[in-house]
Amino acid sequence: MKRVGTPDFWSGLALAGLGAYIITEAAQWEYLGQDGPGPGFFPLWYGIAMAALSLGLVVSSVFRQPGSDERIDWGKASRALAAWVALALSVAALKLLGFLVAFAALIFFLVAVMYREPLRVAATMALASAAAFYVLFALALGVPLPAGVLGF
Amino acid sequence: MKQPVKKVLFATVFAVVGLGLCAPSVLAQGYKPTRPVELVVHTGPGGGSDVLARAIAAMMEKENLLPVRLQVLNKPGGGGAVAAAYMAEKKGDQNTIGLFTGVWLTNPLTSDKAKVTLKDLTPVARLVLEPALIAVKADAPYKSLGDFIAAAKQKPGELKQSGGSITSRDNVVRQLLQQETGARWTFISFPGGGERIAALLGGHVNLMVIEPAEAGEHIRGGNMRVLAQVSDTRLPGFPNVPTLKEAGFDVPVVPQVRGVVAPPDIPRQNVAYWEDVFGKLTKTQSWRKFLADNQFEDGYQNAAQLSKFYEEFTNKMRDILKDAGIKTVG
Amino acid sequence: MDVLSGLMQGFAVALQPVNLLWCFLGVILGTVVGIMPGLAPSGTIAMLLPLTFAMNPAAAMIMLAGIYYGAKYGGSTTAILLNVPGESASVVTCLDGHQMARNGRAGPALGIAAIASFIAGTVGVLGLMLVAPPLARMALAFSSPEYFALMSLGLAMVVLLAGRSLVKALLAMLVGLWLSGIGTDLFSTTSRFVFGQLELLSGIDFVVVAIGVFAIGEVLACMEVRGQGQLLPVPRGLRNLLPTRRDLKDSRFAFANGSVIGFLIGVLPGAGSTIASFISYGVEKAVSRRREEFGRGVVEGVAAPEAANNSETGGALVPLLTLGIPGSTTTAILLAALVLWGFKPGPLFISDNPALFWGLVASMYIGNVMLLVLNLPLVPLFAQVLRAPGYVLYPLVFGVSMVGVYSVSGSLFDLGLLAAFGLLGYLMRKLDYPAAPLILGLVLGGGMERALRQSLMMSDGSLSILATRPISAVMLSLALLILLIPLFNKVNSWRLRALEQNGGVP
Repeated sequence: MKRVGTPDFWSGLALAGLGAYIITEAAQWEYLGQDGPGPGFFPLWYGIAMAALSLGLVVSSVFRQPGSDERIDWGKASRALAAWVALALSVAALKLLGFLVAFAALIFFLVAVMYREPLRVAATMALASAAAFYVLFALALGVPLPAGVLGF
Repeated sequence: MKQPVKKVLFATVFAVVGLGLCAPSVLAQGYKPTRPVELVVHTGPGGGSDVLARAIAAMMEKENLLPVRLQVLNKPGGGGAVAAAYMAEKKGDQNTIGLFTGVWLTNPLTSDKAKVTLKDLTPVARLVLEPALIAVKADAPYKSLGDFIAAAKQKPGELKQSGGSITSRDNVVRQLLQQETGARWTFISFPGGGERIAALLGGHVNLMVIEPAEAGEHIRGGNMRVLAQVSDTRLPGFPNVPTLKEAGFDVPVVPQVRGVVAPPDIPRQNVAYWEDVFGKLTKTQSWRKFLADNQFEDGYQNAAQLSKFYEEFTNKMRDILKDAGIKTVG
Repeated sequence: MDVLSGLMQGFAVALQPVNLLWCFLGVILGTVVGIMPGLAPSGTIAMLLPLTFAMNPAAAMIMLAGIYYGAKYGGSTTAILLNVPGESASVVTCLDGHQMARNGRAGPALGIAAIASFIAGTVGVLGLMLVAPPLARMALAFSSPEYFALMSLGLAMVVLLAGRSLVKALLAMLVGLWLSGIGTDLFSTTSRFVFGQLELLSGIDFVVVAIGVFAIGEVLACMEVRGQGQLLPVPRGLRNLLPTRRDLKDSRFAFANGSVIGFLIGVLPGAGSTIASFISYGVEKAVSRRREEFGRGVVEGVAAPEAANNSETGGALVPLLTLGIPGSTTTAILLAALVLWGFKPGPLFISDNPALFWGLVASMYIGNVMLLVLNLPLVPLFAQVLRAPGYVLYPLVFGVSMVGVYSVSGSLFDLGLLAAFGLLGYLMRKLDYPAAPLILGLVLGGGMERALRQSLMMSDGSLSILATRPISAVMLSLALLILLIPLFNKVNSWRLRALEQNGGVP
């Protein structure tokens, strides 16, 4: 069944899973306390709603004719996801490298690899951005930038 | 290449010995901050601790009590747990101090995620005690706290009080009074002070515990009436309002405190320095005016007294919370 | 005090050169703060407080107020140009504002935002001046049941924001509700969904989610195609860079709707400008003739929320100045400032300090004019930002987002959350889940749950309290009606299809 693999199918399934998780957590908390609804009240209900609606989505996606625009173009998506991985790594590196270095590295990667600009353009962008952010935020506005092991 | 090596070795030994001779004199001068000092608060900008911290920083500058700037650092989250954890991480750091409030003391009792207690940090000084008033809407039929308690006894669970979270001082006062008198009334939490006051003035709740600074104008405007004060002695702004004891309710006055802490493993002399600086601050004119404007009580205690206070306070709170049926951890 | 004489006195104060200067500084600073995502007016005001001790209180109040309402002007700039909400209420402006930019109409969008802000800001001040004390008293009648009804009404708006798939919009809203519940429960100190993380105990900051889903999600989506040079069309010629007469005509009702709704919601302590923007947007969409085009770049979709979030500032000052009750974080700081300067905000504040109150009111008129004069000419300039090539613009959006989030809480954990929500935003775009309902659920969820539980505590467990109190009953009925719209539409379309099949004979 080609239709099983549609994006709606998987996202619906994922949300149903989240709904189920919410319901199990909510069941552990007090539903109705002596003064009124407890912490488990709301989560239980929206968990149930989430599970029900998402299962409905899954079912309808199986029986509906898949439109031509529902297939994910993995070529495009992988570019975007690569950019995201770069961002995530940059954030993870903040503690070690500090904002200026991690951010410059991110910019360099994005400009050089994602946009395929020449290396010197990438390097200029990286350094210029880091410098601009430093001047604008750390110096002018007094907003602290995350500092790494090197102290900046 | 032996000659240069010998020279380097000789120079190093000389330097070390030289420094060693100087060291005692450096230490003997005592601690003085040389870089801006971070003052950690657990609220975001504009929260109670933040405003107090900024006022303190401004007063320090005005009265020239510090050779460097005090910089407020906001570490909100977890009801104080994030700020406390941050302080604990800054072990040995001499350029960080923090402003703690009662929440830092009660949080570890009720939340197992809040692992850092005041005992894990270095107490420095206690600064203020915040008294409170028990107020009702001006057209309520209760002229005294006794009236309210009697009404509550007649209709258990029907009267309502607005306040903060269930571990806040508002609820603690309620719990103590309920235990002492056997009356029972409902507690409704509102996250913001404005909403609590609006609930009272709108007639949606019957009672609230309110800070004198917040209440002052509503009383003057004729919207609120104060039944009693949660304080050991009568506040200067409210000479005609009985304290809880005077009103006939023998319950301990649980104060709302604010004070200064430092990260763990700080040299003794640093603590002495900060005790001294804050002690001087509490004697200045600006501080007195600040206290009077905000209707705080001067509750200065030095580090040793603060430690003792902390022990007594947490033990008392633990018992109160247990009696109130609130789950305690730690 | 007679309004006219009060106003005369006020202008006498506000037009003094030194106060004009502080007003100007305040509104400029406010605009900058509004443009920068993450920098909130509350933080800036708090940081400037020590400086104000040396100033004349009237001048200080004028400046701080200028920052407060000035920020609402700036917030729309990055929302329209970059899909980055500069300020929490600007999230709604992103919906149509950025789409207008993508259609080459960034200039008109920015212009309409400025004009809407001016009109609504002025209406807000008028309201403050004319109806403040009686309105404040009426606002006291609003309590938890009414708040619950108001938030239900706000959530019902999801139906109007749904776009193609109502199910997906509802699911997005439910995820938003879940996110709003993460943290420590106020009433019982139970911690919910914190996954053992200390930093989640106070919940997830709205700014992190909004910037992540909108800004980062948008940039990731743009990374899919390697664009050459300029990505978004910027029309040439001044005529195309400012709103046309047609635009102004289309936005007539939006100006009115946004101003009124924003002001009224601002008066309620605790209801914020984000709710005001959403409701005003929803109302505008409901009454508009071209409601299917909302979300694709309709000018009234920018005018309504921008008007709402500006008049809300006027409204929020009502409880502060007439009762001494702060309705939001920013007004709480203004309250603290007043106390620090030695004033006593409360019911007698206005009568005790007429010069300060009227001076402030007059300065707000002047401030709004200043902001319009500052912002409109800058519109063509700002629109040029979109000329920058993609490889300059989008990495900068990453940077600004990261710094913006970090400046709020100083937490690297929040930056990690930002990245996570960025991925979520991208996935939602790919999978065709609308983002606005998620934000709506996040903003309203916590408040709604609290309001419901408070209401039930007030009524000793009886739900009837929601129906017996008139205001909440009315709003809940409205919410129910709105929820029935899709059903009505479905029935209508069946009916139309049936008519067609019968050859059009009724």
